[in-house]
Amino acid sequence: MANRTDPAAKSIRGTNPQNLVEKILRSKIYQNTYWKEQCFGLTAETLVDKAMELDHLGGTHGGNRKPTPFMCLVMKMLQIQPEKEIVIEFIKNDDYKYVRILGAFYLRLTGTDVDVYRYLEPLYNDYRKLRQKLPEGKFSLTHVDEVIDELLTKDYSCDIALPRIKKRWTLETLGSLEPRRSVLEDDFEEEEEKEENDQLDGLEDEAHEKQDYYRGRSPARERDRDRRRDRDRYRERDYDRDYDRDYDRERGRGRDRDRDRERDRDRDRDRDRDRDRDRDRYRLRDEKDYGRDRERDREWEGRERERRDRDRGRRRSHSRSRSRSRDRKDREGGEHRKRHARSSTSPRRRDGAEENGTREEPKKKKERKEKKEDGTDHPDPEIAEANRLRASLGLKPLK
Amino acid sequence: MIEVVLNDRLGKKVRVKCNEDDTICDLKKLVAAQTGTRADKSRIQKWSNIYKDHITLKDYEIHDGMGLELYYN
Repeated sequence: MANRTDPAAKSIRGTNPQNLVEKILRSKIYQNTYWKEQCFGLTAETLVDKAMELDHLGGTHGGNRKPTPFMCLVMKMLQIQPEKEIVIEFIKNDDYKYVRILGAFYLRLTGTDVDVYRYLEPLYNDYRKLRQKLPEGKFSLTHVDEVIDELLTKDYSCDIALPRIKKRWTLETLGSLEPRRSVLEDDFEEEEEKEENDQLDGLEDEAHEKQDYYRGRSPARERDRDRRRDRDRYRERDYDRDYDRDYDRERGRGRDRDRDRERDRDRDRDRDRDRDRDRDRYRLRDEKDYGRDRERDREWEGRERERRDRDRGRRRSHSRSRSRSRDRKDREGGEHRKRHARSSTSPRRRDGAEENGTREEPKKKKERKEKKEDGTDHPDPEIAEANRLRASLGLKPLK
Repeated sequence: MIEVVLNDRLGKKVRVKCNEDDTICDLKKLVAAQTGTRADKSRIQKWSNIYKDHITLKDYEIHDGMGLELYYN
């Protein structure tokens, strides 16, 4: 009797609203003491009182999957189906963060796509801490905006499969929603401008290089001269980037900094990959630059990643024929010169890699996090398949 | 490497290859990959002993070919 949905309630997504919660979880909630004692005969007003007493959110925990009071209240809301205005009041209220999260969760389950984005996105600005109960039974720290992000991007939260909503850009193209304006947008634009200026300087120099190359002067001398020029130029860029990073750190704009660094990293990685393909041919000529370059380059933290990329690239170039790499050189005339400015592998390491290329590979792979290659080249196809699956789950290969 | 048989008595019987030092959590992930249920929705039991996520198969003395019960949360 107490578990029947309000007969006046509308059906949500074509079914009894309580069916949004899965059968097993629903039975668990009905058998829960909190549900039986506190949630009996609740109305919208008394529900608010109960919600104000909440002090953590979460799904189920423990070996027998006990639901949290948060879950029970969500279930109760699905049962009594409060009006949309009431739910929006829950979300708008500023004093009780758990009431806010409760309203947000309910809206995510029952509201239309446009409503979900419209009412949940303002909550991105709420940075308050929340206590979350993990499935193991421990508590962890999370924040309001993290939870909202989970609700909007993932399709599973608090042990409930969230209904599918359209992606934001779909709604934007349909015209139902405005493009998203972030509160940090002004700060972000400043950073973007700074980045663009740095990048423009780099691009101009590349254009000059290409011209010189095709003019057909002695390649060796040309390369040395350009290399020196590049090195200084890249040093400046490094300093700019470092300066940005420190500047951001002081201002505490964590999100922007990470975004910028991501962009830098991606840009560098692409450049590295191109560079690696042509490296072989210039091995001998590079050796005398290693000493100088090595010192400076070690300071920068990005070197580790470059080295990894270079190793990967080195293996790739082993298998390719010389003629192919020669063609590539003609195509990317300017690229190879950029590479000289930044190469920093020790000569010894490179020669070692040339000689025992295959032996070095597994060692280097082990240094990185677990790679598929560790077990998926097993002769038995079944085991190789199993190892591939394990690698995708993040497990070590079979013994 | 051992092979464990998981039976849910509703028609799903899966054989899973795993290491002895895998935890029950890893085993659940492998089962989820094979059956299609979510890893955190499944429960592995032996009679009424619910197996905990952080303990390895070796510590539970699960040997090659042993059968376990698969339930859902």
